[in-house]
Amino acid sequence: MASFDVVNYSLRPSKAIQRQLVFDGIQKLKAQLELDNAVYVGFGSIWFTDFILAHKMLRINDMYSIEANDVGYKRAQFNSPFATVRVKHGLSSIVLSELYADESISNRPWVIWLDYDYEFNEALKDDIRSAIENAPPCSIILVTFNGHEMKYGAAGDRPGRLRDLFGSSVPQELTKAECKDARMQETLANFTLDYMQSTANDLARPGGFLRAFRIIYRDNSPMVTVGGILPTRGAVTTARQVIDAVDWPCRPPAPVIAPLLTVREAGALQSKLPSGIPLTRAEVQALGFDLEEEKLEAFTNYYRYYPAFAQIIT
Amino acid sequence: MTIEKVTAHAYPTKAFFVRMITRDISLEDCVLDLIDNSIDSAWSREGSHPMMLTDNTNLSGYKISIEASSERFVIRDNCGGMSLDTAADHAFSFGRNATADQEHYSIGVYGIGMKRAVFKLGANIKVRSTFKETNGNRLAFAVPIDVNQWLENNDPPWDFDIIEDDRLEEDGVEISVTELSASSESSLSSPAFLQNLRRTIARDYSLHLQRGLKISLNGEWISGWAIELRQSDEYQPMRELYEDEVNGDAVSIEIIGGMAAPPPEDIEPDESNEGDRRFGWYVVCNGRIVLAADKSSITGWGTDDWPQWHYQYAGFIGIILFTAANAAALPLTTTKRSVDTSSEVFRRARPKMRQVSKEWIAYTNQRKQALQEAKQKESEAVAVPIASVAARKSVNLPTFQTRTSEKMANIGYSVSAQRLRKLAQEFGNINMTYRDVGLKSFDYAYDDLVGVE
Repeated sequence: MASFDVVNYSLRPSKAIQRQLVFDGIQKLKAQLELDNAVYVGFGSIWFTDFILAHKMLRINDMYSIEANDVGYKRAQFNSPFATVRVKHGLSSIVLSELYADESISNRPWVIWLDYDYEFNEALKDDIRSAIENAPPCSIILVTFNGHEMKYGAAGDRPGRLRDLFGSSVPQELTKAECKDARMQETLANFTLDYMQSTANDLARPGGFLRAFRIIYRDNSPMVTVGGILPTRGAVTTARQVIDAVDWPCRPPAPVIAPLLTVREAGALQSKLPSGIPLTRAEVQALGFDLEEEKLEAFTNYYRYYPAFAQIIT
Repeated sequence: MTIEKVTAHAYPTKAFFVRMITRDISLEDCVLDLIDNSIDSAWSREGSHPMMLTDNTNLSGYKISIEASSERFVIRDNCGGMSLDTAADHAFSFGRNATADQEHYSIGVYGIGMKRAVFKLGANIKVRSTFKETNGNRLAFAVPIDVNQWLENNDPPWDFDIIEDDRLEEDGVEISVTELSASSESSLSSPAFLQNLRRTIARDYSLHLQRGLKISLNGEWISGWAIELRQSDEYQPMRELYEDEVNGDAVSIEIIGGMAAPPPEDIEPDESNEGDRRFGWYVVCNGRIVLAADKSSITGWGTDDWPQWHYQYAGFIGIILFTAANAAALPLTTTKRSVDTSSEVFRRARPKMRQVSKEWIAYTNQRKQALQEAKQKESEAVAVPIASVAARKSVNLPTFQTRTSEKMANIGYSVSAQRLRKLAQEFGNINMTYRDVGLKSFDYAYDDLVGVE
C-alpha cells in the first residue's frame, strides 16, 4: 500500500520540525553553494510539503518529483503545487538516471532529498550511490528512511543484515547492542553517512563529501535523515564554516520527538518563549495545565518550527 | 663523547637496479616495453597527437621485428631511431628527469622500460641507433653493455660508453641481447611462451596494428585483433567521451560498451569454450591496451555493489580509453600491464563502467524469460568496429518482459521432484509447472507469515 494512503503527511509534528530544520540549514548554505539556480529533486508524494518549502524558503523554481505508483502519479500531477514542478513517473533508480542525463539541469546544483518511508535497503542504497556519483558540483543530498530495529530482522540477525547492506564500511565487531532501541538509529545514521563518504571518496569527487545533516525524529516509527554536501574544491572551506558553526541546526544532539499539543496549549507555551532560562513545569502549571519535563524541553527547543493543525470543515 | 660517523650512506648500488627493477615484471611485459619504445618513436614522427579512436594516422610504413630464441633476443624497428642527445642525456639514465618534456602522447612514462627489459633478458647487450640529424645527415652509434663488467664498480658517475657504429638499413633502433639469463633462455625457447607473446601482441597493440603498424615475431607477421560490438535497432552500444584533469594535465576519456557476442547457451562454463577470454573490460592508455578482457575487481567486478564476473555475463565487452599528452596523467602501473586503481581519473570513470556492466547483467538475467526470442534478436545484430559506434549515453538492449516498477529478485532452488509433485497436487494441480509451484509456495508463505502490510 502506498504510504500516502497510510499516513496523513500533514499530521506529523516531528516530521514537520525535521523538515524545517533541514530547510533552515540549506538556507544557510545558499550563498556558499550558489544555490540560486538550484534544482530540487524529491519524492513530493501527493502533499509536496518539502517542495513548497523549497520554493518558498529557498526560492528554487525547477523541481522534479518522482512517483512510482500509477494512481499516485495521477494524484501527484493533480496536486502539483507550482507550474515549475514536474512529476516523473517511474522507479526512482530509473527516473534519477534520466535526470542525470538531462543537460538542462546537469550543470546546476541539485538539492536531492530521497525521503523514503521504508527501511534502508539495497534499492535505496543504489539510489544514494548513483546520486553521489552523478549529482553536479555543489549539490546537497539528503536521505530519510525508517530506522525501526524490527525492519532489519531479529536482534541476532541485525549485525549481519547491516553488514550485508553497508558492505566494507561496517566494522567487524558490530554488536547486537548497537543494533537495538535508540542506538539502532544512531548506528544506521553513522553507517549511512560512512557509506556516502566512502562512495564520494572512492570516486575521487574533487571536493569530497561534507557530512552536514543527521537528524533522528519520531512520530510513529523512528526515522533517520542524513546527508551532506558535494562541494566544488573551492567551496569546501566556506561550506565547512557554515556546517561547523554552533548555530548549524541540522545535527540535533537528541532525537526530535515533538509533544502532541493542542493549539491552545502550544499557544500558551509559545507566549512564554523565547526565554533566557528554560521553562519549568511549575510555569506550565501556572498556565493552567501540565506537561512532562522532556516534552516541555522538546517544545522549548523547537517551538519556532512547531506546526499548528486544525480541521477545516468543507 | 663524540660519535665518529656523522652521515649514513644512502647511495644505491648498480646491482640494486639490475636485480630489483627486473624482479616485479614478467619477461613478456619486458618485450612489450621495448615495443612501446618503438611505437613511441613512430608516434612522435607522426606528430605526437592524441590517439583517439577516430584518429586515422597511417602507421603502415613502420615495422618492428622481433627474433627470439634460446641464444639471443633481437628487436629491430624502422621508427626513426634515437638521437645521440637522447641516448647521452635520457635513454640510459634510471628514471626520467623531472625537467624532461613529457607532452608526447607517449606510452612510456617512467624512464625505466628499456633498462629493465634488457637487464631482465641477459648480460650482453647492444643498443644500436641510426637517425637523421637536423641537417639531414644519417648518424649511427651503438651502446654496448657488458652487465657483469659494469656491475664491478659502483663509483659514480655511472656511464655507458657510446661508440661509432655502422648504419642500420633504415633509421631506427636495434637492441640485441645475448648471454641470456637462465629464465629468459627457457622462456624464449618455449613454443608456448612465444605463442602467448604473439597473442598478447595481437591484442594489446590491436589499435596500432589496425592503423597499419607491422610487428613480426620470428619472421611471422602478427595480425591485429579487431574489437567489434554488435549493433542493430535494438542493440546499441553506449559511447561517451568526456574530459577530466589530473594535477593540471588534461585527460580525455572515452567509454564504449555493449554486446560483442550473444551470451552463452549453457549456464555452466564449458571447458572447451575459449570464448570467455575475449569478454570483460579493456583499459587503453594512449592507444596501448594495458588491461584486456578484465573480469577482476580492478575494473570493478566483485567490489561493493557490483557482482563478481559470472560466465552468464560472457558476450560483454567494454573499452575505456584514456588519452593524455603527459603519460604521467594516465592510470598506468609501471609494468603497463594493469591499471593504477588509486588514480583519480580512473576512479571517477568507474561508475560509468559499472552502469553499462550492470545493464548487461540485467539483460542476461531477463533474457532467460524469453530465450528463443532473445537469441533471434541477438543473431540479427551485426558486428561493427568500435571506432564506428555512434555516441550514446547509455547502452540500448531489448526487454523481454514488462518492466516492473519495483526492484525484482530471482529465486532459484532445487527440491526433490517427488516432493514437488506432492505439493503441486496439494495446490490443486499435479501437472503444475515447477515455476508455478515455486510462485504459489512463495505467495502461500508470504500470506501466512507476512500478510498484508
